[in-house]
Amino acid sequence: MRRLLLAGFALACLAAPRAQAEDTLNPPHWQSEGVFGSYDKAALQRGFLVYQTVCAACHSANALHYRDLDGIGFSTEQIAALAAGVKLSTGPATLDDAFKNPYPDPQAAAAAFGGAIPPDLSTIAAARPGGTRYIFNLLTSYAAAPADFLPLPGHYYNTAFPGQQIAMPPPLKDNQVTYADGVAATSAQEASDVAAFLTWAATPNLDASKEIGLRAVLFLIFLAFIAIATKRKIWRETV
Amino acid sequence: MSTLSKPWLQSRFPLLDSFRTYLTAPVLPREKPYLASLPVLIAGALIFQLLSGLVLSLFYNPADAFNSIQFIDRSVNYGWLIHAFHETGTTMIFGAVYLGIFRALWLRNYKAPGELLWFLTLGKFLVLLLIGYLGYVLADGAVSYWSLANSIGGAFGLSGVPGGIGVWFFGGPDGAGTLPRLAVFHGVLAVAMIGILLLHHAARRGAEPPVTRGVSLHPYYTSQIFAAFVIYALIFAVLVFFAPHLGENPLNRGPANPLVLPVTVSPPWYLLPLSNAGHVFVSAWGALFAVLARIALLAALPWLDRSAPGKPPGFPHKCLSLVLALDVILLCVWAMQPSSFIGGILLVLFTAYYFFHFIVLLPLTTALEAR
Amino acid sequence: MAESLGEIVHETEVIVRRDFLKILNAAAGAVAVGAIAWPFIDALNPTRDALAIAQPIVDVSGIAANTALRFVWMGTPIYIRKLTPKQIADNQFVVTSTLPDPASYTDRVKPGYETFVVVIGLNTATPCELLGNDPADPRGPFDGWTCPCDGSVYDPLGRVRGGPATKNLVIPKFTFLNDAQIQFG
Repeated sequence: MRRLLLAGFALACLAAPRAQAEDTLNPPHWQSEGVFGSYDKAALQRGFLVYQTVCAACHSANALHYRDLDGIGFSTEQIAALAAGVKLSTGPATLDDAFKNPYPDPQAAAAAFGGAIPPDLSTIAAARPGGTRYIFNLLTSYAAAPADFLPLPGHYYNTAFPGQQIAMPPPLKDNQVTYADGVAATSAQEASDVAAFLTWAATPNLDASKEIGLRAVLFLIFLAFIAIATKRKIWRETV
Repeated sequence: MSTLSKPWLQSRFPLLDSFRTYLTAPVLPREKPYLASLPVLIAGALIFQLLSGLVLSLFYNPADAFNSIQFIDRSVNYGWLIHAFHETGTTMIFGAVYLGIFRALWLRNYKAPGELLWFLTLGKFLVLLLIGYLGYVLADGAVSYWSLANSIGGAFGLSGVPGGIGVWFFGGPDGAGTLPRLAVFHGVLAVAMIGILLLHHAARRGAEPPVTRGVSLHPYYTSQIFAAFVIYALIFAVLVFFAPHLGENPLNRGPANPLVLPVTVSPPWYLLPLSNAGHVFVSAWGALFAVLARIALLAALPWLDRSAPGKPPGFPHKCLSLVLALDVILLCVWAMQPSSFIGGILLVLFTAYYFFHFIVLLPLTTALEAR
Repeated sequence: MAESLGEIVHETEVIVRRDFLKILNAAAGAVAVGAIAWPFIDALNPTRDALAIAQPIVDVSGIAANTALRFVWMGTPIYIRKLTPKQIADNQFVVTSTLPDPASYTDRVKPGYETFVVVIGLNTATPCELLGNDPADPRGPFDGWTCPCDGSVYDPLGRVRGGPATKNLVIPKFTFLNDAQIQFG
C-alpha cells in the first residue's frame, strides 16, 4: 500500500506544472474558479501586462490604484517603477494614484469614439453575467459577419456580444506582448490572462474570502455540534 | 459580585429585578421547536445589520455613492467583508422573515389571541422591505439607479394622496438631493425597527400566555436560541464568504448609467413577492391596488380563516399553505423573465390564484375543517 | 453564609467537571464573537487612502544639483537637496570630533543615494524655517543653510556648524523606492 502511494506521489511530482503555465485554454478554465480556487498570480501579472499594453489605451479603471498591484505579487519597488512609467497630467504616476484615465472627461471619450464610450473596467468582470468566461468569450469571438448580417458603421461582428455587433475593434493579436515567464502569447492566451486580471480587479479579496470562509465554516460546524449538545444536556438535566 | 454590591445596584436600578424575573420565571412551554426562535434570530440579524451599516456609513458618500462603495471594498480594512456582511445579512434577514410568515400561515398562529402579533409581524415585514429597498437604491448600481427612477416616476404619475405621499417621500425628481435623504431614512428606519421588534416581542407574551409548571428562559431557551443562532451563523458564513452576491442582478455591480436602460429593471429578490403583483396591471394605479390588496388579504387572515381558535391545522390547510407558497415563488420567478405571451398568461393565472386562495379556498376549507 | 475553603474548592471542582461542555460552549461562542468583531474594529483604522496621506511619495528626479525641493508633510517643511560634487568633497572627510554634534557623512545620507540630503527644514534651536534651498539664498560659510532668526549655520549635510543651535537637522523617516521616488513614513 505504501509503495503504491509513493509511486503515485512520484508520478504526481513528474506531472506537476513546470515554469510554463498549465494549459488553461482547452477547455478554458481559471484557477480562481470553484469553491477552493485561488488566483494564479502569474496569470494575473501576464494579464496586467496585456491590460497596460492594449486595454489601458482606451479604457479607464478608476477604482484601481497602483498600490493595489501588490495583490498580484509585485513588490513595492516594482510597482513604483511601473507607475513612474505612466504619465499623468500632474507628472509621473505614484503608488497612490488611480489608474490613468485615458480621457479627461466622458465627453472627450464620447467624441473620440462616436458616442460608444469604452466602459470602465474596474468592475466589468462582476457586472456581466458569466464574468470571467464572458470576457474571454467576448475577446475571442470576433468573426466575419454572415452574408445576411450588416453591422452598423464602425461596428464589428462578435458572436458573444448581446446584439452580435460591438463598437470595439478586435483588440488582441498574437504576440502583442512578450510574457516574462516565457508563456506563448497567443491571442487566446492573452484573452485568458486579461480575463483573469479583470476578475481580480473586480474582486481582489476573493482569495482572502475563501480562506477565511473555510476556517469560519469549519469552526461553526464544530460550534454547532457543541451548542446542540449543550442544549440537549441542559434540557436533560432538570426538565 | 459580592453580596454587598448587589443590593447597591438593584436598589438604584429596579429594572435589574424585572430582568432577573424575565430570565428565571418558569413560564415558558416545556417544549418549543427550534424554528420558534426565528423572531430572536431576526432581532440578532437586525443588530448585525445595524453594526455593519454603521461602519459602512462612516465611509459611504451619497454624493458619489458608487465610487464610495468601491472605496469601501478596496481601501477600507476589511471593508469588503463588512460590505458582504451587510449584503448577505439582508438576504438572510428576509429569508428568516419569509420563513416566519410562512410558519405563521402553516401553524395558524394568526388566530385569536394572536391577531395583534400578526399585524405587528406584517408591519415588521413591510418596514423591513422599505429599509431593504432604500439600501438597494443607495448602492447606485446600473439597475438600482433605474429602479429608483421608476419609483420616483411612479410617484409623480399617481395623483391624489398616494402620489402626494410618494412625492413627499422622495422630495422631487431624481437629483443630487435624493440619495442623501434616502440614506438618512434608511438609517433612521433601521434603528426604529428595534422599537417595532420590542413591540412585537411584547405582543408575543399576549399571544403565548404564561404556562403553569413551565421552564425558565435561562438556561433552557437561551441554550436553544444560541444553538439556533449558530446554525443561522453557519448558513450565513457559507453565503457571505462563498456567494456574497446571491440573488443580486450582476449588472447592478457596475456603475449607474443614465443613458443606458438595462433589459430588466429588477428590484432586489426579497421585494419580488410583493412587486410581482404589479406586473399584471398596466397602469400604476392598478399595480398599487394589487400590492395593497395582497397585503390587506394577509392582514385579514385572522377573519378569513374560519376555523375554531386553538385548533391545530389539519392536512388540507397545510396543503393549501404549501400551494400558496409555491404560487408566490413561481410568480417571482416568472416576473423576472422577459415578457412573453405564455409568461403573461401564467402571471395572470398565478396572481389570480393568490386572490382565489384568500377569498375562496381558505374560508371554505377552514369552515369545512371546523365542522 | 461562611463556607470553609475546602468546601468551596470541592464545589468548584465538581462544577468544572460537570459543566465542561457548557464552558466549552461559552468559550467557543466567545471566540466566535471576537473573530466577528475584529473586522468591524479594524475597519475604523486608517484606510489605504489615509495612509497614503500619512506616507506620501515624492518625485525627486526633477531636482537640479545645488537646489532643494521643499514640501510640507503633515504641517512640517521637508527639504530634499541634491549635493554637488564639490559640496560632497568638502564635507565627506570632516573630522567628526570637531563638530558640535558629531555625525559622519554616511550618517546623513542613505546608502546608494549619497547625493540626496533629506532633512526637516526647521532650526533645532529656535524653530524657524531655514533659508538656503535656492542658490541665491543666504547659505552661510559652508554653503548649507542658515537660520534667519538666530543665525545658526548648517552645512549641506544638515549638520550644525555654528550659532546657538547645538543639534544637527532632524532626518525624517523615509525610503527610496527607486532613483526617482521617495516615500515618507
